[in-house]
Amino acid sequence: MGKADVETVCKKMTLANGTLWSIPIVFDIANEEIREKGIKEGNTLLLSYHDRALATLEVEEIFNYNKMEMMHAVLGKTDTNHPGVRMFNDLKDRFIRGKVTLVNIPKFNAPFDKFWYTPKQLREKFAEKGWKKIVAHQTRNVPHSGHEWLMKGAWFSANGELAVEKLQTGILVNCIIGPKRTGDYIDEAIALCHQKLHQARYFRDDIHMVSIALWDMRYAGPKEAIFHAILRENLGCTHHVFGRDHAGVGSFYDPYDAHRIFGQIPESSLDIKPVRILEWWYCPVCGEVTCFGLCGHSEERQKFSGTMIRSMVQDKVKPTKLIFRPEIFDMVTECADKYGFGSPFCTEEYLAKRQPVFDLPVL
Amino acid sequence: MAETYPISIWINEGRCKKLEEAGLSDMAKDVLAGMKVLQLQCTGEQKDEILKLYPMAKFDTATTESIELLPAEAKNKIFDLVIKRKNLDIMEEFLRSVR
Repeated sequence: MGKADVETVCKKMTLANGTLWSIPIVFDIANEEIREKGIKEGNTLLLSYHDRALATLEVEEIFNYNKMEMMHAVLGKTDTNHPGVRMFNDLKDRFIRGKVTLVNIPKFNAPFDKFWYTPKQLREKFAEKGWKKIVAHQTRNVPHSGHEWLMKGAWFSANGELAVEKLQTGILVNCIIGPKRTGDYIDEAIALCHQKLHQARYFRDDIHMVSIALWDMRYAGPKEAIFHAILRENLGCTHHVFGRDHAGVGSFYDPYDAHRIFGQIPESSLDIKPVRILEWWYCPVCGEVTCFGLCGHSEERQKFSGTMIRSMVQDKVKPTKLIFRPEIFDMVTECADKYGFGSPFCTEEYLAKRQPVFDLPVL
Repeated sequence: MAETYPISIWINEGRCKKLEEAGLSDMAKDVLAGMKVLQLQCTGEQKDEILKLYPMAKFDTATTESIELLPAEAKNKIFDLVIKRKNLDIMEEFLRSVR
């Protein structure tokens, strides 16, 4: 992005041409590096990843932008306990705009190779499946019944208007693969456990598919929710699930900020519909996972979270199938042995020795 | 009354047997769809110290408002202390032993 786009994204949440956009996508570079390498407008740079050629960048503009202003516009926070704040603080001093051309197609390693699709490939896949409505479910977690409930609720919402003769609504699980911290679920477990949901028939395999997206979460709450909607619209999705505290972190945002922001933008600015799902819980009276907007037993409700379930897994306690499917628990254990050096959670050993998500061929 | 912050020790078969043998089965509470847990309460200071000692642990502010993701060895140590003292009020002793 160039300065004009960054400025309007920060000030109006649009690109300079008026298109809705909520998070600046910038290529940052240190002043010293510009000086040392003599980089100037008109140059073509070769971008590398792990010392292998990846793409070219034609330098069209080199500019400064106030990082604090960018951080404030996107996150609305300055507390360094917020991981997005640390990310903005780590940006170098200057930015480059220019055309990026991929010169080396990444080769995804197993098991990610079967989950990676370009937007064009995904759209072709949806057409092949005959899906007219596609519900995107964004995730960084191994699924528990609450996640299953979110997806099923959104499927009903999207499918409601369609004829009953043929199923034409699908769910696209889009797992975010990005930088990991110790204690997070390992990437392999996230993708394979979601796949297990249809392999074990909790979803029909003709209405559910799993894919991955490479993205560094900014944890920007509402602004990131808008960005996720744009990202999935580009993948060809028509609906997007937004649960409680979507893309939030700690208690930096109100749990429903990411719902409310969609009411503040013109409806015509997006071609994807947000499906806002309220807080879910387990109700011992209903005997099921249910939701604030439906269940009247709020005093008896039993709250649970992905973090709580991770604690159970860490305690080697198999959760009840009402909140965590046994097949998913078994897959978590299998992934721990096969990919996680004995743990389903990222450890220092996993982070140091894991097989990369993708490799770049030698050119 | 000062605010307290719970730590949940989930009860698996092994822990259930130890609780029964110690006559402490009543201490375990049914908190989620029939799943049992020992809930120990920490003061605000104890919570902060635990999060410092175990950086992988986190306080789930968003949903359960409990201290989660303590490593298994810490949980085992806490559980063993509960069995030994036949009491849930052991967090200070636990912290002394790991400081």
